[in-house]
Amino acid sequence: MSSVQVPILEARDLTKQYVVGDHAVEALRGVSLSVAPGEFVAFMGPSGSGKSTLLQILGGLDRPTSGHVVLEGRDISGLTDTEATRLRRESTGFVFQFFNLIPLLDVRENVGLPFTIAGTDPTRGELRDRVQAAIDAVDLTGKERNRPDQLSAGEQQRVAVARALVTRPALVLADEPTGNLDFATGTEVLEVLLRSCHEQGQTIVLVTHDAKAAAYADRVFVFVDGRVGDEIVLGRRAEHSATPLIARLAQLGL
Amino acid sequence: MRSLASLAWRSLAARRLRTILTVLGVALGVAVFFATQTTNATLDAAVDTTVTQLVGRADLRVEAFAEAGLSAGSLDAIRKTPGVRDVAPTLERRTFLVTDVGPSGDPVTVLGIDPATDRSIRDTTLVRGVDLAPDTQRSVLVTEALARDRGLDLGSIVTFYGTGAPIDFRVIGIVEGDGPIPAVFGRTAWIALPAAQELFGTASVTTADVTVARGATVDGVASGLEAAITTEPYVLVRPAEIAAGMRDSTADIRTTLALVAAVVLFVGAFLIFNTLSMTVAERVREVGLLRAAGATRRQIGSLFLLQAAVVGVLGAILGALGGVALAAVVVGFLHQVEGLTVSGVTVRPADLAFALALGVLVTVVAASEPAWRASRLSPVEALRSRVDPSVGMRAQLRWLIAIAVVVGIGGIALLPGGLASGARLLGPVLVYCVLLVAALASPFLLRPLGRLASIPFGWFFRTETRLIRGVLTRDPARTALTVGALAIGLAMVVAVASVGSLSRAAASAWITDVVPGSTVVTSIRPIAADEGIADQLAAIPGVEHVTPVGTFDVALQPRSGASPYRVPAAAVSGAAMLGDGRLTFVSGDRASALAKLDAGGTAIVPRSLADRLGIGLGDTLRLGFGDAVTDLAVTGIVEHTFPAPDGETVLVSWSDATTSFGALGADFYAIRYAAGAPPDAPASVATTARQLALQPTSLDEIRGQAEGAVGRLFGLFDAIAIIAVLIAGLGIVNTLTMSVVERVREIGILRATGLTRAQAWRMVMVESGILGIAGAIIGVVSGLVIGAIMLLTQGGRIAWIADAPWTTIVVVAVIGVAVAMLAAAYPARVASRVSIVRAVRGE
Ligand SMILES: Nc1ncnc2c1ncn2[C@@H]1O[C@H](COP(=O)(O)OP(=O)(O)O)[C@@H](O)[C@H]1O
Ligand SMILES: [Mg+2]
Repeated sequence: MSSVQVPILEARDLTKQYVVGDHAVEALRGVSLSVAPGEFVAFMGPSGSGKSTLLQILGGLDRPTSGHVVLEGRDISGLTDTEATRLRRESTGFVFQFFNLIPLLDVRENVGLPFTIAGTDPTRGELRDRVQAAIDAVDLTGKERNRPDQLSAGEQQRVAVARALVTRPALVLADEPTGNLDFATGTEVLEVLLRSCHEQGQTIVLVTHDAKAAAYADRVFVFVDGRVGDEIVLGRRAEHSATPLIARLAQLGL
Repeated sequence: MRSLASLAWRSLAARRLRTILTVLGVALGVAVFFATQTTNATLDAAVDTTVTQLVGRADLRVEAFAEAGLSAGSLDAIRKTPGVRDVAPTLERRTFLVTDVGPSGDPVTVLGIDPATDRSIRDTTLVRGVDLAPDTQRSVLVTEALARDRGLDLGSIVTFYGTGAPIDFRVIGIVEGDGPIPAVFGRTAWIALPAAQELFGTASVTTADVTVARGATVDGVASGLEAAITTEPYVLVRPAEIAAGMRDSTADIRTTLALVAAVVLFVGAFLIFNTLSMTVAERVREVGLLRAAGATRRQIGSLFLLQAAVVGVLGAILGALGGVALAAVVVGFLHQVEGLTVSGVTVRPADLAFALALGVLVTVVAASEPAWRASRLSPVEALRSRVDPSVGMRAQLRWLIAIAVVVGIGGIALLPGGLASGARLLGPVLVYCVLLVAALASPFLLRPLGRLASIPFGWFFRTETRLIRGVLTRDPARTALTVGALAIGLAMVVAVASVGSLSRAAASAWITDVVPGSTVVTSIRPIAADEGIADQLAAIPGVEHVTPVGTFDVALQPRSGASPYRVPAAAVSGAAMLGDGRLTFVSGDRASALAKLDAGGTAIVPRSLADRLGIGLGDTLRLGFGDAVTDLAVTGIVEHTFPAPDGETVLVSWSDATTSFGALGADFYAIRYAAGAPPDAPASVATTARQLALQPTSLDEIRGQAEGAVGRLFGLFDAIAIIAVLIAGLGIVNTLTMSVVERVREIGILRATGLTRAQAWRMVMVESGILGIAGAIIGVVSGLVIGAIMLLTQGGRIAWIADAPWTTIVVVAVIGVAVAMLAAAYPARVASRVSIVRAVRGE
């Protein structure tokens, strides 16, 4: 399905070097891929294979050493900090593994944060409804007034997802959002992401090392040593058993 | 790593900025403290020098009480008194130098001396020329200061105004320095006694300095003199009494300096406490590891104490150096304000030791609570990520009180007279308590004040203000201490500035309240009523009224039977004062008191004297002059009367003054102009006055001088108080930097969600601005309370609440916010540079 549409996100020959002391670490060694609108893709691979680095570059948090990222038809690889900030505000939403929420703010305030930062008031009018809708969408209705420390780990991650979704960004990027969660709570988070993809047509990039999580995706990129080692197309389906994916991975010797 | 101690070093080195700021804070505190000690020592030395210059090696000084002075007969009697060795008579008068335009410039003090005897008890160093010889008639010595001031050199001719025709003198010698007379800014000249007596038309002298012969006692000679001098009223003073009097005159300055210094140190202690607390909070994990590896509680505690001690020692040494420089500035300033003869800054080793010790002690005591907190951390807790080693309210209270005690002791050591200063202790102690209460109340005030302060910021920076909501109260103890320190510094600035501006206004209002006219012409000698000078002045077109005022001293006999003491008095015309609407009556009826005054037998008493002696309306004032005693009925008590060097004058009638108190005439005239006076009337008065050898001064000039003197002094105090604000600023840098470092992850999330660098920067600036406003509010309120206390305990009254010093308040609020924002510049930069990628990376 991806080949027919104009891709919403394209990475072309991305490399990234980190200079640590006097030697360079090659985190990405030429990554090219494209993601179609409304697609749910997952990045898998061993720790240190460059998944997070790629995700950060795709979302405008960091810049590649070389290569290009095209988001919604716009090359974002050479943006200034201010332009990149604007991009983050308008076009991307992030979910991290740890520490996604501001401890002092309650659920509603955390979810409304992107609006607050943009200088609009999320407690009024249409924005207020959108915040509420995002909270409802992640099944946290009734917990609007809770602070992060009054929520379970899974609930906290769902708040983070709601915040990433509330601006209806072109792209939601999630870096091991379930890495810290047990299976059941992790599933809740993934279900929320999946629903937004299926029901709202949200494009999602998920980084995970867990095949059960990756099984929610339409497509899985397997990273090895800073490169895309393999691409596994799972297609859109009603049921998300990890068995076929695990079988494929085993085939690949992973 | 050889020992645990080197961990302290490394920790200091790792947080270089924080260490430097903290050392600087301690150094500033110690510098101000040491400067105050050194100023006190220098003033003491200056008093000794001044007294030595004034009386030389004399053991006793006989001072004429009345303007008539000591006659030749009295001098003879003094010389013949058993046990008296040398007698050096002096005729001291103030006069003017004559130039083409008549008498001009500031008054000059002329000392008529007998060169032979004078040099036997006083050393005078000439920088050029030769000394007066006993037979020199028309020669004069001038001070370097006067020579510089008036462009004089050896051979110059100086013309002095006297009672007769002006007389020319040739300058034959230049005397080193400022001369012996304090508070005249060196404008002193010496001529031979006979020449002086000729110049001023008298056969008397004003003082006779006496040395006691070997074998005789000072007390013995004193009683011998009392028996011998019978013709004129006089007082006998000893050099120690003169010195005590001079020390007394600087006591208020010293008290205020001591207070400000203690407050600066107090604020320094806040900085140390806060910094150490942050260090403990940051190093919780490290402490856990050390404890797990077998470090004892004691080792952990000493680790942090050691770190504080290093900061304390470095800061104290740096501060001592800075203190000497600061003392030089302060002393240079006081030299001008008080007219004391100061030669160099006196550094006493004991002061140095005390300042160093106090600096280290304050640092260690301030650090003891955080160190203790660190040692109490449970290793298991510390190794887990979620421990909160923030300051508890209780701990904060304990700490504040401990610090207040240590700093308080230091502050008392600075007071003139130390613990023995009695009533003078009350003011500083009260001020101290207010500051303590303000500091203790800060945590509770922070939330409401922070909310209030964020309102104005919300108008301009809505996003940033929303984002920091709650941040301020996250660690209320830490934030509160920062705000508290700022508030204390600002409070001192407000207090000093408001007392200063009120004193200035009071000095000015006082003059307006008592001087019946808008020009004052001053005479160098008492002018008798029959000389017709008042009439000549009154004849000038536009002059409506001329009021003669004579000043002299009387001996007041307290009712308790204690020995009489000298009180300044002034002869005035009740009718003139009545017509001019001057004098504010506290009790008694203005009209009848002033109307009755001219008939004699009554007196009007200044409130300050009435309060001191418990005098009420209708009481009898027993005033002695020589052997005679006159009883005057008190018919009124007024807010203020004419100021004299040692208090305010008792107002009496001209008739009593001339018949009972030896007053010879007017010392100045107050001139009032008619409503439609020609605009050049003051100029005509000035010209005529100069022709009559009188010095004209407008009321505005007098007010300006009075305000200027007060203003300079309080300006100095304020400058020192600002140092406390600076230290608080250093504290803000530390606290905000810490708070940014702690929030790196939050800032990372915010940046990932679309916060720009500029917004991150502004966020910290707004946070600091809110702290600044909160500090300014607490500071201004407690500053006004402290100002009131300072005023009350120094004999003032609060009539000024109505006209609160608004300018000061606004300026201080602006300073507070500005210091806070400036201090935020660095942490704000740190916040704007947070690397998102690193901040959001897993643990
Ligand atoms: N800021 C950085 N500085 C230096 N090296 C880094 C940095 N971030 C990542 N790396 C290195 O780049 C490689 C890829 O890291 P990362 O993208 O985090 O991998 P993954 O998310 O797949 O575990 C690793 O070797 C890692 O150590
Ligand atoms: Mg990763």
